[in-house]
Amino acid sequence: MASRDVLAATGVALRGPGPGDLVGGVTPGVVALPESVEEIAAVLRACAGAGLAVVPAGGGTKLHWGAPPERCDVLLDLCCLNRVLEHAAGDLVVRVQAGVTVDALAATLGGKGQELALDVPFDSGATVGGTLAVGAAGPRSFRYGAARDLLIGVTVVLADGTVAKSGGKVVKNVAGYDLGKLFTGSYGTLGVIAEAAFRLHPLPARRRWLTAELAAGEVTGGLVAALAASQAEPSAVEVDRPAGGRVALAALVEGEAAEERALAVRDLLPGTADGEVGDTAPAWWGLLPGERVLVEARFPPASTAAVLAAAEEAGFALRGSPVSGRTWLTARDSGERELREAVTRLRGRVEGEGGRVTVPASPYEGVDRWGRVGALPLMRRVKERFDPGRVMSPGRFVGGI
Amino acid sequence: MLDSLTAALRELLPHDAVITDPVRLRTYECDGLTYHRATPGVVVLPESAEQIAGVVRLCNETGVPFVARGSGTGLSGGALPREDGVLIVTSKMRRILEIDLPNRRAVVEPGVTNLAITEAVRDQGFYYAPDPSSQQVCSIGGNVAENSGGAHCLKHGFTVNHVEACEVVTPDGDIVVLDRMDPGYDLLGAFVGSEGTLGVATKVTVRLTRVPEAVTTVLAAYGTIEQGGEAVSAIIAAGIVPAAIEMMDALSIEAAEAAVRCAYPSGAGAVLIVELDGPRAEVARQFARLLEICSGAFELRVADDPAERAAIWKGRKSAFAAVGRISPAYIVQDGVVPRTSLPQVLAAIDGLSREHGIRVANVFHAGDGNLHPLVLFDDAEPGAGERAEAVSGAILDLCIRHGGSITGEHGVGVDKAKHMPRMFSADDLDTMQLVRCAFDPRGLSNPGKVFPTPRLCGEVPGVRRGVHPLVESGKAEQF
Amino acid sequence: MTGGPGTGPDPKLIGDCVHCGFCLPTCPTYVLWGEEMDSPRGRIHLMGQHVEGTPITPEMAGHFDACLGCMACVTACPSGVRYDRLIEQTRVAVEREHERDPQERAVRGLVFSLFPYPSRLRLLRPGTGLARQMAGFLGRAHPSLGAMAALAPRVPRRQRLPRLVRARGERRAVVGMLTGCVQREFFPQVNAATARVLALEGCDVVIPRQGCCGALSVHSGREDQARRLARRTVRTFERAGVDTVVVNAAGCGSSMKEYADLLGKRPVFRVVDLSEFLAELGPAAERHPLPMTVAYHDACHLAHAQGVRAQPRALLGAIPGLELREVPESAICCGSAGTYNIFQPEAARDLGDRKAAAVAATGAELLVSANPGCTMQISAAMRRAGREIRVAHVAEVLDASLRGVSLGRDA
Ligand SMILES: Cc1cc2nc3c(=O)[nH]c(=O)nc-3n(C[C@H](O)[C@H](O)[C@H](O)COP(=O)(O)OP(=O)(O)OC[C@H]3O[C@@H](n4cnc5c(N)ncnc54)[C@H](O)[C@@H]3O)c2cc1C
Ligand code: SF4
Ligand code: SF4
Repeated sequence: MASRDVLAATGVALRGPGPGDLVGGVTPGVVALPESVEEIAAVLRACAGAGLAVVPAGGGTKLHWGAPPERCDVLLDLCCLNRVLEHAAGDLVVRVQAGVTVDALAATLGGKGQELALDVPFDSGATVGGTLAVGAAGPRSFRYGAARDLLIGVTVVLADGTVAKSGGKVVKNVAGYDLGKLFTGSYGTLGVIAEAAFRLHPLPARRRWLTAELAAGEVTGGLVAALAASQAEPSAVEVDRPAGGRVALAALVEGEAAEERALAVRDLLPGTADGEVGDTAPAWWGLLPGERVLVEARFPPASTAAVLAAAEEAGFALRGSPVSGRTWLTARDSGERELREAVTRLRGRVEGEGGRVTVPASPYEGVDRWGRVGALPLMRRVKERFDPGRVMSPGRFVGGI
Repeated sequence: MLDSLTAALRELLPHDAVITDPVRLRTYECDGLTYHRATPGVVVLPESAEQIAGVVRLCNETGVPFVARGSGTGLSGGALPREDGVLIVTSKMRRILEIDLPNRRAVVEPGVTNLAITEAVRDQGFYYAPDPSSQQVCSIGGNVAENSGGAHCLKHGFTVNHVEACEVVTPDGDIVVLDRMDPGYDLLGAFVGSEGTLGVATKVTVRLTRVPEAVTTVLAAYGTIEQGGEAVSAIIAAGIVPAAIEMMDALSIEAAEAAVRCAYPSGAGAVLIVELDGPRAEVARQFARLLEICSGAFELRVADDPAERAAIWKGRKSAFAAVGRISPAYIVQDGVVPRTSLPQVLAAIDGLSREHGIRVANVFHAGDGNLHPLVLFDDAEPGAGERAEAVSGAILDLCIRHGGSITGEHGVGVDKAKHMPRMFSADDLDTMQLVRCAFDPRGLSNPGKVFPTPRLCGEVPGVRRGVHPLVESGKAEQF
Repeated sequence: MTGGPGTGPDPKLIGDCVHCGFCLPTCPTYVLWGEEMDSPRGRIHLMGQHVEGTPITPEMAGHFDACLGCMACVTACPSGVRYDRLIEQTRVAVEREHERDPQERAVRGLVFSLFPYPSRLRLLRPGTGLARQMAGFLGRAHPSLGAMAALAPRVPRRQRLPRLVRARGERRAVVGMLTGCVQREFFPQVNAATARVLALEGCDVVIPRQGCCGALSVHSGREDQARRLARRTVRTFERAGVDTVVVNAAGCGSSMKEYADLLGKRPVFRVVDLSEFLAELGPAAERHPLPMTVAYHDACHLAHAQGVRAQPRALLGAIPGLELREVPESAICCGSAGTYNIFQPEAARDLGDRKAAAVAATGAELLVSANPGCTMQISAAMRRAGREIRVAHVAEVLDASLRGVSLGRDA
């Protein structure tokens, strides 16, 4: 029976796949458009019964991330679950459906002088659910934590249609296991994130960016440590380095006294760099450096210099946060073998520093996307329990999970 | 079962690391919650991850449950031993293994106390941010298990936000490292706060925080607790995120006064302690606004130096234990409500207190709505204990009804497992237990905690236990 | 003792413990071994077991014996648990109910027949022929006795103190002075310095002939001996007609402050520690500079049992040129604690080594404390570690500063 026929009985709206629906190059059999948590559950139950593989999708901005699914019978498009369920401004908490776009959410919150301090490094279409599913972090995760740190509650739907929640809508809560953290960054392989609650922050009174240009050799472990530990408390420190060029460094300082604090951060820069303080971000701030090829390096911050050198050697442009030890890298697409070798070289160096290199986006399957994964056997066991039939985004994640 | 296990434990561990003397065993019968007691079958005091892994493997071979224990200060009975099981105590594992200031992290053994980390790096201008009131004694392993918080977690976050990696002995005796840096599922996030039910933490990498440039502490005294609650809301509404906002009511002020002579303003119905920290220029501006917001207070005290600050905090920090001075017995409750519901909930607690004729002292982390009502009673008076229990339970109902939680930091343990179904559906709990089944299919790691009814994990349909080597190496897929 | 003889630890006092564990990190035996039964909370639990009917087993007695009685746990306890009372009551019960093995009994008997009697103690001083002959033999007979002999310091010439030392300048007070057994025999210069400092600060110092105050017996559960010695000391000072007795040995001071509990009757005089008294009196004499770095060690019986922490620091800090350094882990006992290094030589040694390392970390030239036992213990440990340090009593440092002389070589 075709996927469409299986789902017809659920009454959930369906449509045929369009060009924007490809998941890592795989065309789904059908696209389902649930409008409620119950409808998600109905779709998943139906799929589980028929052994159909399901890939949840938000704005579709990262569907090319992760390995292509082995099968994709149904694309579960959550765009219709786009309500802000509750914004308790006095509590600095918001509860949303997974399909709400990050931009729409920001607009709602901004109206009350608040924000979700997640700078999602994606195009405007990105949804809350999709952002959580890939667990990507933006510049200010340095100060406010990444998605998993701001998430205080989730409602998820498992492959068999079970609807479960964990956490809640209070900022402090240790009752039960934290499923939110488990689902954050799970690439849709454990189930569907249907709703999420976050802690919010008041919008800062002022924002100032310190920008400066440095020679690569000036970005030392000492400088990074000093910036990270600065009592001027920058919210973010980012570098941008086109392959082989000089390093543009920018630090964001937020608060009423942003200006003088930004100047204090400037004092930490080497004498040669004349940093400027202004109220606009550099053009590259918070954006991914590449589309088709995207590599992520995570490393101890003091190893920044080594990572910069390794990136240069392997021919990657680099952008991201030295203080968090988390950067994106990209390279011109010059063929599978070249990319594979470049990644291997980079990975060797970064793992040698105690770091990790992953490849969220690669047009080629011959590139090892995940590198070293600790605790993989435990991860498999988690997957087996949550999705014994392997119908949720099969094959998209580490170790072919 | 236990006898043969004990013999094997003696082979594995140094002589005095295995305790079987009944008198000694009983000293481990409870943690900070003395209401639940059980004499452990055997206690072991290992000194390395390998020893713990050996103990856990022996438990697996014999099907004997085990419970981890740090300093035994938990307030939900999480470390309540099993009479038919092994208690694994980490109190001999208290070395700080590495301090890496350039990367702002420290690697410690699980028995290291929370405060010891701060003390080791304070001179270099760093500290470990999560600060439970028990910080001088509670262990990092216990903090990780409980995802402990503290007064300053309002701004700085909880244990889970400050743990970078954990070496864990899994319930089947493997040593694995869960690292935030690793790709894959956030197993570290799931492990922190799992109350010892997913294995034993044997090494913890924590993030260190730079001490702030400026700290200002304000004590504001109000006539009534409602006025105090309104000030809290006003502070949050003004967009100020203090490091801490703590509140104490008249009864807890009385207790603290009796214990440590904290000399809080007399006649106060509530005192609010607000601490601002951060860059000096920022703190100064926030302080000015804070003073405006607190202008309704009948007395304000400001501390700028450590000694004055300590004087203000003294009463708050001693409050829990101090209640013992004004009441023969008491129950420490721990619940959370949305911060805006604080005034209503406090009024309702007051109502409950009157209705049952049971005094309730309130000491709490007002900034994040985390209540710690101390339900006072006289255990010599017949029926008082039951009435106190009733009030305590009703307070949790209030928290749930207002969309809050039955525990903000003390954990579920054995004490609140029965309340879990009031907050979560059967599906919620079953789903959480899938994680448990993945880590601990035989249910040997701290059984009987967190979940009211243990799930029988069974085998995953169609999947062998353990992973086939071909799958492991990526050469084959498991269907 | 509140419970009175024969009742064991008071269940009400046991009930005050809420099992919070705040006392654990300050307990020296817990710091050493990390075991619940050798922590204050665990010991209180054991007392509870005993009160509920469990007889005192050798294991139980071992954990009580291992307690140094340093009272760090009393300071740390937010619930106000009177562990000091509890352990004293418990020790009485242990002595009464627990049959020790013969060798242990012999050692205890020997020690308790020596220490409270200055004239007998004198025989042990190194340099005396008896001590020389005894040292090797004692060590072979029992490690405890070896420890006792090894600890004894070199003793300067004995100085006999007059019965009355008159105030210099205007008389501001009249005080009695306790000379203490160990202090008198091993550290006579400390008593001399104490008398001079008091006199220079304007006090008439009355020094009657006196015996042991009973502290060692109290701390070891020898209740009858303790009471006898206490009564005699009270009589001595009541006869001397003083209303304040100044004590320069922390262990003695803490016990004397508890005389009311021990004897069921408050003595007519009050007991104060030297530094407590001087801080209260306020300085009169001129302080001459003593340019040196000093680490101040909190003697348990002063800091924990008497709550005297700030005063000695203030007195030392007020000396021009003197730089005071804090010892890390200052709340943790050095392991001397009265007779502890005799009965628990290994633990005492470990604690001494730990303290020696902490003191060494300060880099100070001089170690100052207010208790002879601590001074003996720490200097012995530092000697073992090859980091010898000069030691002095607070009184000696003040004495040097008031008189404008440098600290004596033996200080
Ligand atoms: C007076 C007082 C004040 C307190 N204040 C606070 C507060 O402000 N905030 C707060 O959050 N808590 C507070 N607590 C509660 C308690 O101190 C914390 O929960 C603490 O984290 C427990 O640490 P512990 O070492 O004592 O753990 P234990 O009590 O020994 O154990 C607690 C739990 O952790 C598990 N566990 C222990 N070690 C390990 C390990 N290595 N691996 C896996 N599991 C382990 C145990 O099985 C148990 O479930 C307070 C307690 C007291 C008595
Ligand atoms: S008196 Fe000292 S040794 Fe004894 S239990 Fe208390 S802290 Fe420990
Ligand atoms: S600190 Fe006091 S109440 Fe707490 S365990 Fe120790 S003795 Fe008991």
